[in-house]
Amino acid sequence: MNHCINVNKGLDIPLGGDAERIVVDMRSAERYAVKPPDVVGFTPRLLVAEGDAVAAGQPLVEDKRDPRLTLPSPVDGRVAAVVRGEKRRLEAVVIEKQQATSGAHAAAPSPLKAESPVWWMIKERPFGTIANPDHKPKGIFVTLRDTNPLAPDLAFALKGREHDFEAGIAALSAFAEVHTVQPTGPHPAGNVGTQIAAISPINKGECVWMVNAQDVATIGHWTLTGEYRPERLVAVGGPAAKAPKYYRLLCGTSIARIAEVQLMNPAYPSLGGTEKSTRIISGSVLSGTAVEADGFLGMYDQQLTFIEEGDHPEFMGWLMPGLKKFSFSKTFLSGFTGLVEKTGLLKQSGIPAPTYTFDTNLHGGRRPLMFTGNFERVFPFDIYPLQLLKACIVGDVELQEQLGIYEVEPEDFALCEFVDPSKTEIQTIIREALEVLRKEATA
Amino acid sequence: MRIKWVEQMFDKIEPTFSEGGKLGWLHSTFDAFHTFALTPKTITRSGSHIRDAVDSKRSIIVVIIALLPALLFGMWNIGYQTYQANPGFFNSQSSFLNFWWFGFVRMLPMIVVSYLVGLGIEFAFAQGRHHEVNEGYLATGLLIPMIVPVTTPLWQLALAVAFAVIIGKEVFGGSGMNFLNPALVARAFLFFAYPTHMSGDKVWIASGWWGNDAIAGATPMGQLATGNMPSASVLDMLIGTIPGSTCETSFIAIALGALLLLFTGIASWRIMLSVFLGGGLMGLLFNAIGGTTYLDLPFYYHFLIGGFAFGAVFMATDPVTAAQTNTGKWIYGLLIGAFAVLLRVANPAYPEGMMLSILFMNCMAPLIDHCVVARNIKSRQSRISRTSGSTGKEAHNG
Repeated sequence: MNHCINVNKGLDIPLGGDAERIVVDMRSAERYAVKPPDVVGFTPRLLVAEGDAVAAGQPLVEDKRDPRLTLPSPVDGRVAAVVRGEKRRLEAVVIEKQQATSGAHAAAPSPLKAESPVWWMIKERPFGTIANPDHKPKGIFVTLRDTNPLAPDLAFALKGREHDFEAGIAALSAFAEVHTVQPTGPHPAGNVGTQIAAISPINKGECVWMVNAQDVATIGHWTLTGEYRPERLVAVGGPAAKAPKYYRLLCGTSIARIAEVQLMNPAYPSLGGTEKSTRIISGSVLSGTAVEADGFLGMYDQQLTFIEEGDHPEFMGWLMPGLKKFSFSKTFLSGFTGLVEKTGLLKQSGIPAPTYTFDTNLHGGRRPLMFTGNFERVFPFDIYPLQLLKACIVGDVELQEQLGIYEVEPEDFALCEFVDPSKTEIQTIIREALEVLRKEATA
Repeated sequence: MRIKWVEQMFDKIEPTFSEGGKLGWLHSTFDAFHTFALTPKTITRSGSHIRDAVDSKRSIIVVIIALLPALLFGMWNIGYQTYQANPGFFNSQSSFLNFWWFGFVRMLPMIVVSYLVGLGIEFAFAQGRHHEVNEGYLATGLLIPMIVPVTTPLWQLALAVAFAVIIGKEVFGGSGMNFLNPALVARAFLFFAYPTHMSGDKVWIASGWWGNDAIAGATPMGQLATGNMPSASVLDMLIGTIPGSTCETSFIAIALGALLLLFTGIASWRIMLSVFLGGGLMGLLFNAIGGTTYLDLPFYYHFLIGGFAFGAVFMATDPVTAAQTNTGKWIYGLLIGAFAVLLRVANPAYPEGMMLSILFMNCMAPLIDHCVVARNIKSRQSRISRTSGSTGKEAHNG
């Protein structure tokens, strides 16, 4: 079922560095990583060892709780490394691409089921886990527009994959009604959480599934041909990217080659330099994960953002007019010039329109939650964000449930966190609260 | 903007004030000055990698800027009122600047005392708790001298500030944790502890460059309380050339501050608007009853006399002590306005209803929010009972 929803509350951050519509083909990249920690609710058991030859779609790890669920290798190759972190936690399985032995793929249409290599691309709410094949979702949501800052244009990304996309939707329809959503309005209109809340909010005990539109095409390709080819068009941009553009690559690609091209200052620590002046974010600048220049793209991410580190002080920053500072409040002069710009008067007067600078500076000290009214303006849910946040801080599970915790994910609070003058780590607080509930639910 | 020598100076003395340093116990104090001079270089760690440029320091400074028109006009009016009551006071030099200078000299000690005592206590508490010093008092400390009579003795002011900061705020955990507006706690303290210095006709007009002696002169509210219409014209009250607490008299100056607060989004327009709505509706209701001067008073007079406008713009909108939900803000504001007018009209022995009305609604704000949020909870529960029995129900049991 197709939906058009309009969202009024929200905020589009004028970050700068939008990807130009030039596509660089990186599908021949050599190194890939499958990262189990990116898949919420997945307890990995390693199925391969270093040096093993693997084929595209071959399981590398399986879920200890449900061995039907696996994370497959994106390419034909060899296991180059098994990366473990603290307490021997499996962080990543690194694959080096090698020429496939011909005829390895049984080219035959395959049904979508829990054992399929594409299953992990289906996520479940509440909790944002990998979809549990035993659950009966009340709907499957696919957003047709990503509204995150600098996110890829999904229509552009799906060009040429329409056939696969249709097949993917058809395959998913076997499990529940598929809702494809075309949202209008500012971010977070494109967040699945916003769309679920607008169309069919999750109640306690219910669940919905969600799939990234590009992954729907991958699923479709699998059902049509039996070939696992997790292609993704990734938008690479940000104010600190040298030449923002699109990259066509396979899921889990090493970003080293992209970083070499895009970093303004190539003397990056993991590339042999010393100065770390740029942050590379896999995913959106609002809720993505910082990665090293020799790291890998996140399992579910479809954008890579380059942004300046803001680790320098500013003289009396709280008092300065702030023509280049971006604020949702209009407490800086940029709020005034930004407003005048909309009327067109600015151009006539010859004053240049505000260009904002963004970096990773926190812009202030942490404070108690002293201010109110901001969150509601960027939070298009029938939920009281401040009250839910407080319930999470004090760990009142019952109140969290009453206030609608099952309807949200950390990313839904990303804009609240952005606009908060008290600089509270809101997404972390929501994530930890959800983890407690998830562990209770699965225990 | 970066200024290297300031950064270097702070970098140099920072170890002394850090943990283990010679003056490590003064860390909060050092940190307060450090963050005042240099916006910290802290960077985001997780979640949203970029953040809005606004912080609590910026928000508070906007409030202070919004207070400036009322403050500057109030200073001038102090001199002007003394001139009106005693035209010979300034000899022949009765100029705009002289009036203002007189008011400035009267106000400055009050502001200094308020900041010294208040910030002293704030720093001490922050130090004891190893917290960052909260900048909230920068606004409170300016508000307090602005809402008391010009002849308030400094020692009384100091006591009131200490009471407000300790009992009104710090015992609850500091700025952001208090449930009463600290500036109004200070005023209420003075009002109940030293009523003769806070009301009547002999407190509003200073008779000299220093000291607590006053020239008799009634405020419009004082006149109304005795059953007379205010002698000042509506225009006088709009401009503010009437006796009253130091900076509360000018509707226009307050309106200028209100515009800034509303434009920047620092104050809630819902609260501000609904306070005036509540007051106006209550005034109209009394007009319908009629009979006495106060009952027949045109409703808009209530906005112009006493601290109604000042309270609506700068006190009721304090986000920490107001209702926190949008619906709650409407109810909170409407009731503040209504109660303020009710107190004025129904109990003329009580000169200023606005202060008590806001303090009362500060206490009620959590209850209002509770009811508003309870409705949301109820609607969510009814949604569950509507859909229970549908396919999704078994999902987590299965």
